[in-house]
Amino acid sequence: MYLQRILKRILTLLAVIWAAATLNFFLPQLAPKNPITEKLTQLAETSGVDGNRIAELTEAFNARFGLDRPLWERYFDYLGDIATFDFGLSIASYPARVGDLIGAALPWTIGLMVTTTLISFAIGTLVGAYAAWRRDSVLMQAVSSVLMVFSAIPFYLIGLVLIYFLAAKAGWFPISGGYSIFSIPGWNWSFAVEVFHHSILPALSIAIASIGIWAIGMRGMMVTVQGEDYMTFAKAKGLTPRRIFLRYGLRNAILPQVTTLALFFGQVVTGAVLVEIVFGYPGMGNLLLESITLFDYPTIYGIVFILIVTIAVSMLLVDLIYPLIDPRVRT
Amino acid sequence: MTLLQVRDLSIDYFTSTRVIHAVRGVSFDVAPAERVALVGESGSGKTTTALALMQMIEAPGKITGGTAHLKGEDLLALRGDAVRSSRLRRVAYIPQGAMNSLNPVLRLREQILDGLTDHGQRPDRRAADTLVAGALEGVGLSPALARAYPHQLSGGMKQRACIAIAIAMKPDLVIADEPTSALDVITQKQVMATLIAAQEDIGCGLLVIGHDMGLMAQATHRVIVMQDGLIAEDAPVGRIFHAPRHPYSKMLIESVPTLGRRTETAAPAVAKPSGGAGLMEFDGVSKTFGGGLLGRGAVRALDTCSFRLADDHPQIISVVGQSGSGKTTLARMILGFETQSAGEIRYRGTATSAMRAGEKRAYRREVQAIFQDPYGSFNPFYKVDRALSLPLENFDLAGDRPAERKRMEEACEAVGLDAGEILGRFPHELSGGQRQRLMVARALMIGPRLLVADEPVSMVDASLRMTILGNLQRLKDRFAISVIYITHDLATAYHVSDYVLVLHRGRIVEAGLPADVIENPAHPYTRSLVGAIPWPDPNRAWGDSRTDDTGWDARQIIRSQSQGFELAGAA
Repeated sequence: MYLQRILKRILTLLAVIWAAATLNFFLPQLAPKNPITEKLTQLAETSGVDGNRIAELTEAFNARFGLDRPLWERYFDYLGDIATFDFGLSIASYPARVGDLIGAALPWTIGLMVTTTLISFAIGTLVGAYAAWRRDSVLMQAVSSVLMVFSAIPFYLIGLVLIYFLAAKAGWFPISGGYSIFSIPGWNWSFAVEVFHHSILPALSIAIASIGIWAIGMRGMMVTVQGEDYMTFAKAKGLTPRRIFLRYGLRNAILPQVTTLALFFGQVVTGAVLVEIVFGYPGMGNLLLESITLFDYPTIYGIVFILIVTIAVSMLLVDLIYPLIDPRVRT
Repeated sequence: MTLLQVRDLSIDYFTSTRVIHAVRGVSFDVAPAERVALVGESGSGKTTTALALMQMIEAPGKITGGTAHLKGEDLLALRGDAVRSSRLRRVAYIPQGAMNSLNPVLRLREQILDGLTDHGQRPDRRAADTLVAGALEGVGLSPALARAYPHQLSGGMKQRACIAIAIAMKPDLVIADEPTSALDVITQKQVMATLIAAQEDIGCGLLVIGHDMGLMAQATHRVIVMQDGLIAEDAPVGRIFHAPRHPYSKMLIESVPTLGRRTETAAPAVAKPSGGAGLMEFDGVSKTFGGGLLGRGAVRALDTCSFRLADDHPQIISVVGQSGSGKTTLARMILGFETQSAGEIRYRGTATSAMRAGEKRAYRREVQAIFQDPYGSFNPFYKVDRALSLPLENFDLAGDRPAERKRMEEACEAVGLDAGEILGRFPHELSGGQRQRLMVARALMIGPRLLVADEPVSMVDASLRMTILGNLQRLKDRFAISVIYITHDLATAYHVSDYVLVLHRGRIVEAGLPADVIENPAHPYTRSLVGAIPWPDPNRAWGDSRTDDTGWDARQIIRSQSQGFELAGAA
């Protein structure tokens, strides 16, 4: 029965990905601008391309990229390509392949976002739960207010403030980049330390805001849970406060948080576009920004497709993990 | 020798505007192995008194004076960790809302053991298994349920699990806070039998909090009646039920419906087959849930059910049965919330499935619902007048302001509410009983022909139930409204209804006049329902339960462990 459900769920997943990919293909076709004309016009302004031959060149490139073929033919080609994660050649960074561009950017984003998200989830959830548990104490009320303030400030604003004080003024951290422009990327200690050093400020700017968000959500849930009958019964059973807090309170209050966490992971890939831009971080956010400004459709397709897959997969994860932590949804 | 000696207990609630004296100098005793009832209406201070014994009064409440000596030690003088460690070990608590009192994410085994662990017992795996199995068996649950989660249990099983948890450490005193308030009569009887068996087994004192005098007469030795934070009367059951001294105790006892004293209504109605279409007709109606391609077994909630409600004069039909008997499904189908799987439902000759939009709208107006939960049935942001006028607007019946106001006043007056007092207030400012009447008033606003009342009084204090139902009876005659009264409480059905249908596992097993069905039940299921009614008479035995549908043999427990269950009033 459980296996059957998983199988069904995976089929749904594939259907969702297909539907989203189809939208992803057709929507940009409605855009009024031709990416090749756009690129050529740009080149005409800056370099030696002859402005009068743009139409002719566009035609040539259309043939080169196969854009002159009928829409449905391109659609099936597209489906075949994305199924093998082949997104073709980038227009902006021609002749680099889109797959390579994404492959280079993805680890940076995932490394930064996943670690930061997990750490802020853990801290935020604990702090939020404790703030609800001790909500009569003045200290915890103060903590709650501070968290609320931080959760309302956008990531990138915190990032700018951090850059100004800790990087520009104090000089403790580099101002931008994922690593120093003078070093050569490689699997060695000195480079790892450098990457870590560069990631602290972006991570901090995300963490400060998202700890607040996690804590506020958890605090609300925990307050609700504290009103439940089983909390009264737990107290009447003479359980230690520690057990009531962890096994009865937190254990129940955390359930909706886990759903939010999984949904959060779905957006990890592009979640912090602005932070990456502020910090000049070589991740997916910067790549997306570049490809949008340059109308680099293949790259946009690629990134959006990766985004679709991560969101769909994280939804699947919610569905698979949730029964493990909440017995009520097991049937 | 007394087990518990409470003296001059006072509890105040310090709100921002004033101090409420919830309990005012209460003194009482509990003897070893004695079962004492603490009864009174909501707000009488009975729960507060009991919680004080565990020092579980939450701010802004505060124990302002008094002592409570349990075996010579003052429970109220305990401080620090001693408060915690005395809970469960010395004073145990069985909570009121058994439905939600168990932690939904922990298995029963862990919920039984964690209390022991936190009181310094560390049994090894084998000993823990034996302990859990023993605790579950002691309350009539299978040891296999140790691995179950709360949502896998029925209401009665959950309440038994709560008992198992509470008595695991053999406490000196057990406090049961309305332990059966959410259960139907048969389950209530089984759970009370379990509780009493367990209590006699460990020989502890038992304090049962509640407002159902019938239950107390059957289950306890002594009754303490509380009113407004004071003890009105404290007497053995043998005396209080025969010669109550305090008028309040007398009122509580008289409010419990009993058989044999049925007051006939103005027009005794018989559901005789008459010509023409009936008001409401069920013709071979079935309802099946689930099934489908990938589903497992389908559940048949209602099985080829037929009855007919005559149109020529209004009557009250009671549909009685345990939880799971299909009575709520029946109500939901009448109200159009569910569609039948087979058969036909006809309203005044027209099948509901064949109604056109206009007819459907008229049907919705003429058939109104009264729900069980008076607290959840009103939008908390709307004042009472708005709640009452909305149905009018909804059906475009609203006239000008004074006409609307007049209609509201009439509806309030019809249900015995003071319009001047309640209009303009918010629902939360009203008591449960007032809200329940208000729900009837709201239904009356648009001139219904049929009211479907699903357990309308089960959440109201016992002393108010008959008053509210009596009011329904008067409305029937005054406005010519028929009522389908859905309940598990045969005693009230006996008094208010003109006709009774008994539902069992989706089938109508017995139907007839209340006097016939309830005084001389023919079907064994009806007999067990009647037998489970707790009569407010300690000398009348709480009959033996013949059938048992919960998969647990109540008879065995009752026979083997609670021989003294048919108690003669301990005077």
